[in-house]
This record gives sequence, C-alpha cells and structure tokens, in this order.
Amino acid sequence: MILDYIVYGDVTISDLLLVITILFIAVIIARIATMNIKKMLSDKLSRDQLELLNKIVYYSIILVALIAVLPIIGLNLTGLLVAGGFAGLVLGFASQNIVANLVSGIFLLSERPIKIGDQISIGDVSGFVEDISIMSTIVRTYDGLYVRIPNEKVFTSNIINYVANPARRFEYTIGIRYSDDAEKAIEIIKNIIEEHPFALKHPQPTVFVENLGESSVDIVVKVWAPSTEWYSVKMDLLWKIKKALEENGIEIPFPQRVIWFANQPKQSFEN
Amino acid sequence: MFGYHEIPFKIEKDEVLIETIKNGNFILYRRNSPENVEKIISGGISGYPKIVICPVEPVNIPKRVTNYLLIELEKPIVVAPDSSININLTFPIEIGVFTLAKKSVEVLDIFSLTKPKYALYGDPKDGVICKYWESKVVEGYEGFDPLKEGILELTITNNGDEWAEVKRVIFDAFSMKIYYSEDVVSMRAFMKIINPNVAETGFVKKPLKNGMRRSIELYTARKLPISEKFLMEWGL
Repeated sequence: MILDYIVYGDVTISDLLLVITILFIAVIIARIATMNIKKMLSDKLSRDQLELLNKIVYYSIILVALIAVLPIIGLNLTGLLVAGGFAGLVLGFASQNIVANLVSGIFLLSERPIKIGDQISIGDVSGFVEDISIMSTIVRTYDGLYVRIPNEKVFTSNIINYVANPARRFEYTIGIRYSDDAEKAIEIIKNIIEEHPFALKHPQPTVFVENLGESSVDIVVKVWAPSTEWYSVKMDLLWKIKKALEENGIEIPFPQRVIWFANQPKQSFEN
Repeated sequence: MFGYHEIPFKIEKDEVLIETIKNGNFILYRRNSPENVEKIISGGISGYPKIVICPVEPVNIPKRVTNYLLIELEKPIVVAPDSSININLTFPIEIGVFTLAKKSVEVLDIFSLTKPKYALYGDPKDGVICKYWESKVVEGYEGFDPLKEGILELTITNNGDEWAEVKRVIFDAFSMKIYYSEDVVSMRAFMKIINPNVAETGFVKKPLKNGMRRSIELYTARKLPISEKFLMEWGL
C-alpha cells in the first residue's frame, strides 16, 4: 500500500501525513485560542499587551506540536543536539540576517522600547507602530503607507518614541512690535493657554521675552501637553494666540529695516 | 435631572435641555448644551428602553486620556503625626446618559458643564496625566450646583511620626463610588499618609446621606489588574 511506502529510515508516507495533520490541527487550535483570547480580553488589556499574549500562546502551541511530532519523523531531539553543532554552523552562516532579525525581535519584545500604537521615528521612517513580530516591525506612516522594517535595523537604529513618556513640551517663538506692550501680550498668551484643556496646568507653562530681535520683541512660549495630544494642542494654540493678540491690537511685525541715505537727493525732498 | 426616566421625556435645567422624542419605530435623543447632540435609539421588542441620567467618573470630557483625578487644594492642609482630619472638598461633575434594556447598559452620551483641565502628577518620565480640579475646603454639602460640583468627603489620616503637608490628592477612577440625589452629588474618600511624601488614596462605598442612589460606573473591570487604591508616590 502507498501509505506504507518508506520515505527514509522507518518513516513512511503515513507518518508524514500524520505529522502534517498534527501540525495543521495545532495551527487551527492556536488560531482558535488566539481568537478567543482576543474576544475575551480585548476590553481588559491594551492592544499591545493583547498582541504579545496572542503571540506567546500561538507560538507555544505550535512549538509543543512540533516537539511532539519530531519523533514520528525519526528526529530525535538528543540526536539533534549532537548534530546541531555542525548543522548550526552551516545554517548560521547561511541565515545570518534571519537569525539577526530573530534575535533582535526577541530583544525588542523583551526590552519594549516601542509598543503597538506608539508614535515613533526609526531612521527616516515616522509613524504609528502597527505590529512587532519576531522578524520585523510594521509601521504605518503618517501618510498611511505600510513600511516593514527588519528588526535588526530597528534594534540598531536610534528609536524616537514620541509617546513613551506621559507628557512632552513644545514651544513657539512669537514676535511682536517694539511699540506693543510685551507684558500685556504675555498676559493674553497665558490666558489662552489656561483656557486650553490639554495645555497642562503642571508642569506650568512658561511665557517670557527671550530676545530683542531686529524687527520684533521675541516672546517664547513653552507648554507641556499629554504626549498623545501634544500635536493637536500645538496646532490649535498657535492660531488662537495669533488671533487673540490681533484682537488686542498687538501685531506680529514683518521684518523691517530703516535706511538712512548719507546724501539725500534734493529733488526727492521737494517731491 | 438625575435618575431614571421613561421615554418620552423632556428635562430642562439651567441652560441644559435633554429630551427623547418618539418618532415611529425609533426614539430621537437630543441635548442642546454645551453642544448639540442628537442620536437615534431603537425600540426593543419589549418596548422602549429606560434612560438613566447620573453623574459619572469625571475623567471623560473632552477626551478619555487618563483615569486619574487630581484635586489641588487652594490652601494646603498640615496634618499632625498620629492624627486624622475630615474635610469636604469639591470635585467636577460629568453627567452620563445611559440606555437600559434587560440587564444591558449602554452609554448614550457624556457631557460636562465645567471647564476641563489636565495636569501631570509626578515627573514627565514616570508620572501620570490627571484630570485637574482646584478646590477649597468647604463647609457642609448644600448650596452647590449638582450639575457642576460634587462634594468629596475626605478623611486624611497621618499614621507616620512626622508632620505632613497635603497640597493635592489624586484618585483612580476605577475605584470611584459616586452617589447622587436631586440636590447633591457625593463621594467619600480616604487618604492614608505613609510618610510626608507618600500616601494612599481610595474610596468608601457609603453615601453622604441616606436615600442617595449609587451612580452607574463606567470604570468597572475594564482593565486588569484592578487596584482599589492609588499610591501617591511623587509628593503630597
């Protein structure tokens, strides 16, 4: 019978089919388990915790199934360990990048400098972390592009995580005319900041005259906001400050320069 | 305004108008202040759902970015070692509108008539973002607008050997127990000072006076593990 046909050693086609079936069932069980975990815990765990838990459960089930089926196809784990030395050397050279990505992925998952949903910048890629798998990290850029970054690159690059800390500061420099009252301008700006819910009360915002420029008195505004909201606060506040200053007769001047001629043409005075 | 309402109803209090209007197979929910909100509710097989209006944990408006409430005291309170003090503070009110059908509760609307503000408690690396509210110590619990301010009865206990100065108190919304009646909204809380820089805060499941109803809680078992207390570890 064809099922009893020996492929190698004592391993028959039926053994291979059994292995494939067990692995197939393991994949189905793993998927059902992760789906149920998602259903049960989606409102109790954050998205990144849930993804991590799902990955651990999924790969654990597959690993257990894999270890269970190895003896069926004649692979002895103790034998593998002995043979593993030489095979590992060969495989190591052949799959350097894959192993580097895998190891980097494990470190990334354990060190957790970034989480799913975080706003990050890795090299020249900025956006939201969509997924962190064993081999790669998926980023959705602010333009909505899908970018897959190998974990080795993520691990060896400078990672900027914009939301790792609960709050962050931003600042503006606002120039007003020399003829305007800087103290009044500071008061107006402080009131606008006070009105904004996400401009944090503590740490307190700071508003002060930083520089007496060529064309303007420069007022620096430093505001803390929740990391998740800072960009919308930054966009919102600047225009409100501009409008409030203008409503109070304080203007943002254009660059200007007074030019004195050493010899003024006589005709121009007459004209 | 607070309580259970049968559809259709119309409530007008101060500047707020809330109404539900039967319109064929569905119900139109409408609120006019602080902004206009309209929603359509479907009628169940067993009839129209009930509407519950009650105060909710005040950490949702304008956006749910935290589950902590920081109340800064207008004047600090200095607490002697081995002593306790009972004070009344105010807290901001957010009003939740819920639909009730069978045993299921759904949030229909949340609004607030107070000005929201946020603050960071702790340092920018490890601290927490909190909804901010400034309060003075108040006498009694009458004369406050229940649509804007609630009364927080706070018991501060200093079990340490040193004096402690309390300038603020932080609470976790997951353990808030809010009670309401037509004229007052209240919570009862405690603050146990461990040392002059560290304290533990939590809530007591007891109304301020008899006959008050317990609010529907938005923050129940939504996150694991649930801590019933908050540890103020970055100063009092």
